[in-house]
Amino acid sequence: MALLEFKNVNKMYNGETRALNDVNFSVNRGEFVSIIGASGAGKSTLLRSVNRLIDVDTGEILFDGKEITKLNKKDLRSVRTQVGMIFQHYNLVNRLSVLENVLHGRLGQKSVFSGAIGKYTEDEKQEAFEILKLLGLAEQAYKRCDELSGGQKQRVGIARAIMQRPKLILCDEPIASLDPSSAKVIMDHLKEINQKMQITCLVNLHQVDVAKNYSERIIGVNAGRIVYDGSPENLTRQEIHRIYGSKTGDLITDMEEK
Amino acid sequence: MQTKTLPCPISLQQDKKGRMKIAVKSKSSIAIRWTIISLIMLTILAFFTLERKEIEVGTAIVDTFHNFATAFFHPKLHYLTFGKMLYQLAVTFSLGALSTIIGALIAFFCSLLCAGNISNPKVATVVKAFVSFIRAVPTILWVLIFAVSAGVGSIAAVVGLTFHSISYLVKAYAESIEEIDNGTIEALKASGASYWQIVFQAILPSSMSLMLSWTFMRFEINFANAVAIGAAAGAGGIGYDLFMSGSFYFDLQETGYLTIVIVIAVILLEMISTKVKERIK
Repeated sequence: MALLEFKNVNKMYNGETRALNDVNFSVNRGEFVSIIGASGAGKSTLLRSVNRLIDVDTGEILFDGKEITKLNKKDLRSVRTQVGMIFQHYNLVNRLSVLENVLHGRLGQKSVFSGAIGKYTEDEKQEAFEILKLLGLAEQAYKRCDELSGGQKQRVGIARAIMQRPKLILCDEPIASLDPSSAKVIMDHLKEINQKMQITCLVNLHQVDVAKNYSERIIGVNAGRIVYDGSPENLTRQEIHRIYGSKTGDLITDMEEK
Repeated sequence: MQTKTLPCPISLQQDKKGRMKIAVKSKSSIAIRWTIISLIMLTILAFFTLERKEIEVGTAIVDTFHNFATAFFHPKLHYLTFGKMLYQLAVTFSLGALSTIIGALIAFFCSLLCAGNISNPKVATVVKAFVSFIRAVPTILWVLIFAVSAGVGSIAAVVGLTFHSISYLVKAYAESIEEIDNGTIEALKASGASYWQIVFQAILPSSMSLMLSWTFMRFEINFANAVAIGAAAGAGGIGYDLFMSGSFYFDLQETGYLTIVIVIAVILLEMISTKVKERIK
């Protein structure tokens, strides 16, 4: 059964740039789906329209069977608590401790007041620490986030998303600012979360080879349109060039395959 | 040297005597030159039109320095005891502290409406315009305006000081908030956090140190203002005693003593605030 479904979704910026052009796709529960495409193709817009950080113009978006494009503030917040998000620049509160940042994942599910003053239950604290252990960050729990390396920060980002107990995690270029070894750690963690916790993952990626290795399905976006939606095995070089609108030999992936 | 023989297509300009120019006269440089010339003329004119009466300039200058020497090299308290003076200093300190704390609290909430990255742009423009109007009127004037309704005294002083502090801090705080990485706010929004949770869990911790250093800065200003207002609006404190010793008792030694005490207090404040600013980073 589909967890997320896009039906004829359109989005224009400033009345001229088409970021999403009649987008139709669905993501099943437990799937690991990558979205690839050139910069500016609409990948980020696509991802952000799921939790309505960006509002689409027309079309329907169904999350867990609920139409979300016309929700009021309160219902929207409750949908957002079920959708985790991981960012390229981690977006942590640098001056707070690692543990505090992980606990932020629970804010939306708490009362406004106790969340605002940062009062968490013992169970919540324990849960946050367990998640940190799982991601190998137990020793860093009390460090300030600005003391961490990029790879560690991204793991805190993942921990914060898991803390939401989400049904879906959106990853907006999670490894674009990381070195190859940290990038592998992050992708492995995402895969593990996907398989062990049954959390659906929707990942924006720039690295075609990474997308091929980790995902069950790949969606290719070009100029706001979905031009490929299928398994990684069927993603031929021709298809890749169609997604990026490039000629043979123009892409960095072409070099490896020579 | 002949500029015309140089191979470059544009040669340097020359002045009337044939020397090369290193700058070309622009409108602003002409304006600056004329401003300076007219200021010099006005100063010379002022000296010739001064009404000196029977004062001799030479003696007057010597006497002034003599006064300074009496005030600052032989400072002594006559009308006040040392304890009383410390008490008055504490009063001035409290005037400054009270207006800064109240001002900071109100300013924080106003700055949330004013910061471009988290508020409605229309509301932000209105708040900004209102606040810059308040800021344009000097603190002392606000105190005198509030003295009309609250009467001359400490209440008018605190309200007036607070009023101007709010306008100053709103701008400073709003700019601190605008410096926050928008991604942080976006991340909490995406997890379903509400507005006040984002304010206290992301915005406040991220901009706290900047805001605190602005607040200390304002506290120093408020302390200095409280000295002046003590005299001008009868709010009491050490400023009032300074005013009394200077213009009522004509006691140069006490004036000097109080001035030195105020200078020391300001330097101490400055040192403490620098230390605190180093701690919070």
